[in-house]
Amino acid sequence: MRQNTNKHQYSQLEKYKESLELAHLKSKTLMVNSLVLLLAGVVLYFLIKLDVGTTVILSTMTMFFILLIINFAFYAYDEDHYNSLKIAMYINTLGIYSITIVLILEFQTPSIFTALFLAYALTSVYQDLKAMLISNFALFITGSILLIKYPDIFRLINDEAPQTLYILVYLIVFVLLLSLSSYILIKRKTFFYNQLAQVKESEVRNMELLLEIEKINKNKDLDSEVYYSSLVKFSDELSKKIGISNIFDRKINILRDVNLMSMQDVLDKYPDYNRKEILDLLNMELEVTNKIRRVGIKSSQSYGVEVTRKEIFSESQFKSFNHQGDNNYVMIIAFVTFYCLLKIDKPYLNELDEAQIKDILYNSEYFHRIDRDIINIYLENNEVFDTIVKDHLEGK
Amino acid sequence: MKFSTLLSKTIWKVSDNMKTMINRIKNSEFLTFNEVLRLKVAIVTIFLFVFVVLSIPLSSFNSFTRDIEILIPIAFALLLVFTMLLTVVNLNRWAMHFSIYTIIGLTLFYVGGSNHFYGYMLFFVSLTVIIFYQDIITYLLYGGGITIYGIYYITQNGESILGKNATGIETSSLTYQVILLGFYLIFLVQFIISDNIYEKMNNEWIRMNKVLEKYQSFSLQYLKEHLEDNEVEPLYKDTKFQQLVSELSVFINEFFEEEGNNIAEVVEFYFFLHDQEVDKIIGDKELPLLTRRYAIELQKYLINSRSELVSILFDFTTLFKGDQKFQENRYEYSLEKLFNNKTDKLLALSILYKYLKTEVTQYDRWGKVTRVLNHEEITEMFVSKEFREFISFEQVNFYLDNQELFRNYL
Repeated sequence: MRQNTNKHQYSQLEKYKESLELAHLKSKTLMVNSLVLLLAGVVLYFLIKLDVGTTVILSTMTMFFILLIINFAFYAYDEDHYNSLKIAMYINTLGIYSITIVLILEFQTPSIFTALFLAYALTSVYQDLKAMLISNFALFITGSILLIKYPDIFRLINDEAPQTLYILVYLIVFVLLLSLSSYILIKRKTFFYNQLAQVKESEVRNMELLLEIEKINKNKDLDSEVYYSSLVKFSDELSKKIGISNIFDRKINILRDVNLMSMQDVLDKYPDYNRKEILDLLNMELEVTNKIRRVGIKSSQSYGVEVTRKEIFSESQFKSFNHQGDNNYVMIIAFVTFYCLLKIDKPYLNELDEAQIKDILYNSEYFHRIDRDIINIYLENNEVFDTIVKDHLEGK
Repeated sequence: MKFSTLLSKTIWKVSDNMKTMINRIKNSEFLTFNEVLRLKVAIVTIFLFVFVVLSIPLSSFNSFTRDIEILIPIAFALLLVFTMLLTVVNLNRWAMHFSIYTIIGLTLFYVGGSNHFYGYMLFFVSLTVIIFYQDIITYLLYGGGITIYGIYYITQNGESILGKNATGIETSSLTYQVILLGFYLIFLVQFIISDNIYEKMNNEWIRMNKVLEKYQSFSLQYLKEHLEDNEVEPLYKDTKFQQLVSELSVFINEFFEEEGNNIAEVVEFYFFLHDQEVDKIIGDKELPLLTRRYAIELQKYLINSRSELVSILFDFTTLFKGDQKFQENRYEYSLEKLFNNKTDKLLALSILYKYLKTEVTQYDRWGKVTRVLNHEEITEMFVSKEFREFISFEQVNFYLDNQELFRNYL
């Protein structure tokens, strides 16, 4: 069976990762375009210095201008900003290479050939997998074609033989190394986005779990009426103090009613409020949505939490059963205890069946949290595991 | 026959190692920083090996003496062997430096002994190797050094790599220099952006993990209280559970050791630790080193404290909880951003105050979750800088102006 470690991830991750990436994509788009503008200035300086004529200067600058205009248009287009900026990124990548190729063919010298590396550097700022593929492909293909079809470009004044093979080998090494570098960097960047998105969702769910366990322990839920009756008194006093009529009262009544009535009934009872306004109010409701309770929990718990510089980029922060340097026995015991805990009923989670456990452990990031040999032993012998558990816990 | 067997074995081993390396590259996001560095050194070493091999036929093009032509490839090969040895003993950072010295040495050798364009290209390859390691200090030092040398080299030897179609030495040299400097600076900018982005993300990630641990500690504490109230024995004391863990551990261990039972003693020690003050065991110098080491390692996986295992279990549980559709404000906790109109913001602030003053969110002196925050503590929190994540400056001012009403009626 083909492994898919995304199968059991939180369903909200992709959307949030996109919004996270969008924020960075915006700044990178601005950065690359500023560099392109700077490059256009440098190229203009060289063209004037070389006195190449107005036609060449105008045509080259027009290319830069068109590229910048396209980027500006996509940046300004607010609908589906994420995909617009992605398209702008691909166009920019191809555009930068196109301008470089035109310049190389115009001057046909080895010095201008190295501008291909500059094009690569510019496009690498995006740190995007597809942009990287386009860039690597463009660099390698362009470099190779120029070497084979236009060997005269590389001919030096003191040397008749341009050593094409060596240049080609270096080009391959250059592309391969940078591809690997970008690949590892992009994978780790994506991993970071993923981790951050995951911890955000995990926080929401852990708060929900905490509320659920609190309810199990106390055997009662929060009494929202206590809140609303104090709010009525508070808002009365506040209105008196400020000298205005009570503007909170009606909203408090809506909060009371959303607990007892359907949305349609609430809308019928309060015709001066539309659905969106009621939904906004629901964010402070205490029993249906839990949103304001989550704000309360988070604000009370995150106060005073500090991060020191030492903790930055510390891999020990990753929770796993696979810590480097741990004894093999310890890794086995940790995994086995975890597995056994999944196989028994708990107040907050019923026992899971074997197929479900195997599926999640194989098709989720938990696969990477367990030592590779241990998880493989489990996956190959999970039925034996299940039998041992049943033998021991029968009648429990 | 013997030679062919040896050859096929070697090929098989090399292909196996390559497969492992490709797998590690594919899963590089799950590797630790040290492991990634080790992987990078291994990749660079392969590329450097190609360069060292290439430097042998290249000797015929350059202007060194015969002795140097022989000695230099040998020296580079030795440097590579030394780099590999450093990775074997896990001195990966040193190995990284030595691999950089090798490529710098090769660059100097190539550009020093010949006047070919490919020699100049090695400046870019050297920078690429340094970029590959993604370490800003290393890039500033070695990358900066290589760039400065490259610019100096062009100033001194620009004529030797002047293209036949070039219009003049001045423009050609300036083009080489500007492009090399531009290449270095763009990657430097990229490093700064990346470092900045990742530092911020990492900071937030660590902070959120710490907060998560607090929620999980609360959950665990509630569960302990629930067991106590219902007079249920904790799971770690349950002999059936202990036997189950022991048997499964022995079963797995049999795949690693012939005598799989050795692990049973460690399982016993693991459950014994649950009733002990683990820090005392770790600090007791009279105990054997192995015992203390096991205590340190097993501490992470105890089930009666907010350990890594408990955190992973709660996280795993959340896969089955709260699967609501993503909304834009799902991870938003600022009242300023959650509500649009002023009345709603003030009402939400009042509810938040009431929540903090009514609901138990703090440990008491006996470690139970029973304490609520008092007015003074809430005020201290509200006015603190870090609380701007939840309420705005205007809301704090409103609160301070009306805090007596908050105290008396909420």
